[in-house]
Amino acid sequence: MSVHQEKKKEIEPALIVPFVQSVRKVLATMAQMETTIGRPYGKQKGPSEHDCSGIIGFSGKVIGTVVVSFPLATASKLVAAFAGDEVDPQSSDFADAIGELTNMIAGAAKPQLGGDANITVPSVIMGRGHTVSRPSDIPCLVLPCSTVAGEFIVEIAIRTA
Amino acid sequence: MPFDEEIQQLTVSVWDAILHLPIEPETGALPEGERTMSACVQITGAWRGAVALSCGADMAAEAAAVMFAITSGAPEKNDMQDAMGELVNMIGGNVKALLPETCQLSLPSVVEGSDYSMRVPGSRLVTRVPLRCGAHAVTVSLLESEEQAA
Repeated sequence: MSVHQEKKKEIEPALIVPFVQSVRKVLATMAQMETTIGRPYGKQKGPSEHDCSGIIGFSGKVIGTVVVSFPLATASKLVAAFAGDEVDPQSSDFADAIGELTNMIAGAAKPQLGGDANITVPSVIMGRGHTVSRPSDIPCLVLPCSTVAGEFIVEIAIRTA
Repeated sequence: MPFDEEIQQLTVSVWDAILHLPIEPETGALPEGERTMSACVQITGAWRGAVALSCGADMAAEAAAVMFAITSGAPEKNDMQDAMGELVNMIGGNVKALLPETCQLSLPSVVEGSDYSMRVPGSRLVTRVPLRCGAHAVTVSLLESEEQAA
């Protein structure tokens, strides 16, 4: 058993809806893809493994992190649609595109979060089987997303300050 | 602003205060092919950038054991992640104190894997400070928004 026994609060629904809308909007606008969003679920277990993740932080009235994680095949197709051409996953352009996608999703959600929320510059993690975690006392909700390019997830771990 | 000395000093202070372990400057690299952890906090406001702390999973386990007083058995992964997050949060908080007012610190995120790279698009590396705690290599990096640097 972990040494951390603090009871986790439920994530506020008002903080989730903006991300559902922003994922759909950004993918439709930038990659011309319709996104189906499955039933969100609370992340109870440890972090899952991914090939490619964009991480963006929130500070100010809303604090926490949002992580968009992809299998490499899905990320490659999305970046190709986003950039209008195939991009080598080893190149910095690929990471830049994932960072920009993450930034746009967070940026489109931000105005609807209420109050003054600041978003950070995104970090991008590339590498098979990596995991991303955040402080264990912040509740995390996972949005499972599906497009013609494949499936990916958006992990939302934010709360009002 | 080079920041090398300041980051080195404040990392030594954090290690001493929280882990009661010595850490010193070193030119070694992180172990290749082994599981490593990187914790990152982002800074927004009057100065935009990020502070990243990287080390092997064994260093993170040792830090968690000390920080959470785990005396029997190996620390769980959650504890290692929380320990890394707390350490980078403290280092980031100290870095923030050196920056122009007013800056905010994001909550930390922690990445783990055996073969991954971390990139902060739109940022440039200000400095990477290599250190050693016993047998463990540790690096602390400071990145700055390119937009701001220009």
